Amino acid sequence: MGITKPIVIEKETAVVDGVDISGAWNRMFEQRVIWDYDLRHMEKVTALEGGESLGWCYQCAKCIAVCPVDIVGDYGPRKIFRKLQTGMDLLESSDLWLCTTCMNCLRVCPKEVNMVEIMPAAREQAILDGKAIPDELQKAFDNISKYGNPQGESARKRADWVKDAGVPVNILPTTKKPVDVLWYVGSYPSYHGRGKDAAKAMARILAALGIDFGILAHEEKEDGDSVRLAGEKGLFEMLAEENIKVFNKYRFKKLVVTGPHEYNAFKHEYPKLGGEYDVLHYTQFLAGHLEQLKPLLRKRVSARVTFHDPCYLGRHNGEYVAPRNLLKAIPGIDVVEMFRCKENGYCCGGGGGGMWLDSFSRDFTSERLSERRVREAVEVGADILAVCCPYEVSRFEDAVKSTGHDGKLVVRDILELIDDSMRM
Amino acid sequence: MPSDSILIVGGGPAGLEAARGIAEIGYKAILVEKRDRLGGTPDEASYAALTPHFKNTDDVLGAMIGAITSNPLVEIRTGSTVKECSGAAGDFAVTLSKDGKEEVVSTGAIILATGFDHFDPGRETQMYGYYEHDDVITLVDAEKMLKQHRFVRPSNGAVPKRICFIQCVGSRDRQIGNEYCSKVCCGIASKQAIEIRQIVPDANVFIFYIDMRMYGYWENQLYWPAQEQYKVNYVKGIVTEVLKKGDKLVVRGEDTTMGRPMEIPMDLVILSVGMEPSTGTKALAKLLGVRQNKYGFIEAIGEPMDTVSTSVEGVFVAGAAAGPKDLEDSTSMAGAAAMKAIATVRRKSAITAKV
Repeated sequence: MGITKPIVIEKETAVVDGVDISGAWNRMFEQRVIWDYDLRHMEKVTALEGGESLGWCYQCAKCIAVCPVDIVGDYGPRKIFRKLQTGMDLLESSDLWLCTTCMNCLRVCPKEVNMVEIMPAAREQAILDGKAIPDELQKAFDNISKYGNPQGESARKRADWVKDAGVPVNILPTTKKPVDVLWYVGSYPSYHGRGKDAAKAMARILAALGIDFGILAHEEKEDGDSVRLAGEKGLFEMLAEENIKVFNKYRFKKLVVTGPHEYNAFKHEYPKLGGEYDVLHYTQFLAGHLEQLKPLLRKRVSARVTFHDPCYLGRHNGEYVAPRNLLKAIPGIDVVEMFRCKENGYCCGGGGGGMWLDSFSRDFTSERLSERRVREAVEVGADILAVCCPYEVSRFEDAVKSTGHDGKLVVRDILELIDDSMRM
Repeated sequence: MPSDSILIVGGGPAGLEAARGIAEIGYKAILVEKRDRLGGTPDEASYAALTPHFKNTDDVLGAMIGAITSNPLVEIRTGSTVKECSGAAGDFAVTLSKDGKEEVVSTGAIILATGFDHFDPGRETQMYGYYEHDDVITLVDAEKMLKQHRFVRPSNGAVPKRICFIQCVGSRDRQIGNEYCSKVCCGIASKQAIEIRQIVPDANVFIFYIDMRMYGYWENQLYWPAQEQYKVNYVKGIVTEVLKKGDKLVVRGEDTTMGRPMEIPMDLVILSVGMEPSTGTKALAKLLGVRQNKYGFIEAIGEPMDTVSTSVEGVFVAGAAAGPKDLEDSTSMAGAAAMKAIATVRRKSAITAKV
């Protein structure tokens, strides 16, 4: 055994205010001693509506074990509390943008310190104060505000995928027909290459079940839930008002959504603004039609499949059963659970604005959350990582490549797996 | 001749409650108190509001004292001390002294409710400088200011804006010899922190601790409101030393959850001093031959189920004479001691009657 050297903070080169101060003497560059507890920033955050509970932390540190970001970095709710107590300005800190609002900390917190409310409140204040926000997030806000989707695509192209669906899809703005099911497709299934695969599969499944459904096509806009959680409450409210206006134009019985974030928005946030719907996530809707669906699932999909619980379907809304029931109904599929699943499911990193912060977060984490999650899927010997959130297909496919598991693990939406099994 | 009266030594909460209970059952209580007034330490040390319910000390003690002064079965002997004791359970002869005059009273049982002393921070092994710096005070000193609703720095009379409590002063310390936790200081510091924030709303208040010991309801009655409503800052890591720097005191220690040293300027430092056996407790234990534990508190020999019997038959203990106790402990023990003392005199007089 060699002698362990002490860890010193030393920079090869250091430039402060344009003056080069490189040299061996710059050891201990970072201040060690806490000279003061400057509580102004703590007081500012806890005075915000939604920020109050940050001041309740008593440092039990249960949150740290389940915080998906701390596992790949040095970040967590109890640490934020202490950093604020020792003078950090959260509104100016990178910590402001690392939380994915996955809610696993709140699940275990004895004091109910609610980061799902604290972070959006603090981010909103940072935006109102004109603080710098990460470029890519700003870009997503701009796109959503201008085009109604984060990709910056034209609204007219929103239903382009319908052409390749292989089944007729009722475009409500054209037919104006009352329907049983209004299917809110969402931005990623409408525009993203792999998202569109899921959208087409959904259209075929609904058609095969004989469901009377329609979509809003170019009149549909981003739901805004992740925008809200990323701090742009004003933009969220604008989107919600516009979507509610569109929903009000048509007659439908159920609102079915492709994504858990949309589900969360329509279930909990839109009602506050006057939009109340009988909303279901597609896994819930299809699980409700399982008896009709089962005879259609004739082709075996021989694979070991593990399911990734989306934070906004699972922890936020308590649905763990429907997606699993669908997977188990597909002949040939062997469902295996990952180390962290259901209530303790590991976050993919896409929530709370994380979808538009990947490059930013890269500087503060050893790997992406999606990469960590892919490793867990590989660990249980899965061939397929099944998802039911439109954020996840692209995130996990990138992670499969970057972790060197290309060709070993495939990422499929549950919709695609059902669609596969329906084809003889 | 056996006596059916019961002698209580100490006129604090435990002694008052024991006297009340005995008299209410119909037995005669002789309450001996060395001070000229009843009330014990909460009165002598000018406690403002009692922990954890924030009830006014004078009101609470006044009600207790009223209950015994109005009962003819209680004989109150203030300004009196115990000089000698002979006899045995059922028939003790106790010599009392008042103003140099001695008198022997007979009693069937004795309840010791002689209480505790606040730890003297001059004895602490850390360097908190209680006797050097005017602005280093104790919980007891702070309590006096809170009672007057005037919370200032003793050095210059200015209103302090940065105040910290240092926990476990004189407790949990092998070098000092007090290995035990004094049990109430976490709660009292939290109670005072709330009161300070009420009097000086713009003050920042810190509590430096090793472990917060807020047992039972004290957690939700004191700790949580202090942190959540009154924004008291709890920092894990005890202060090692207090130094003077200009007009300020600098507290030095480690902020353990940050893993960083700290050197924080303060206007006022409050030492959360613990409990030690009072001189009266030690003297009475010796005089009656009652076994004491290694810290000098009177040993309750039947714990955990009997908290009041001592090594001498017919002698019982109640309150902080038996170790660190809160008010609920003290008055509950008083009830148990009253019951056992009455049982003793009844048993002894029954035996005598048979003979």
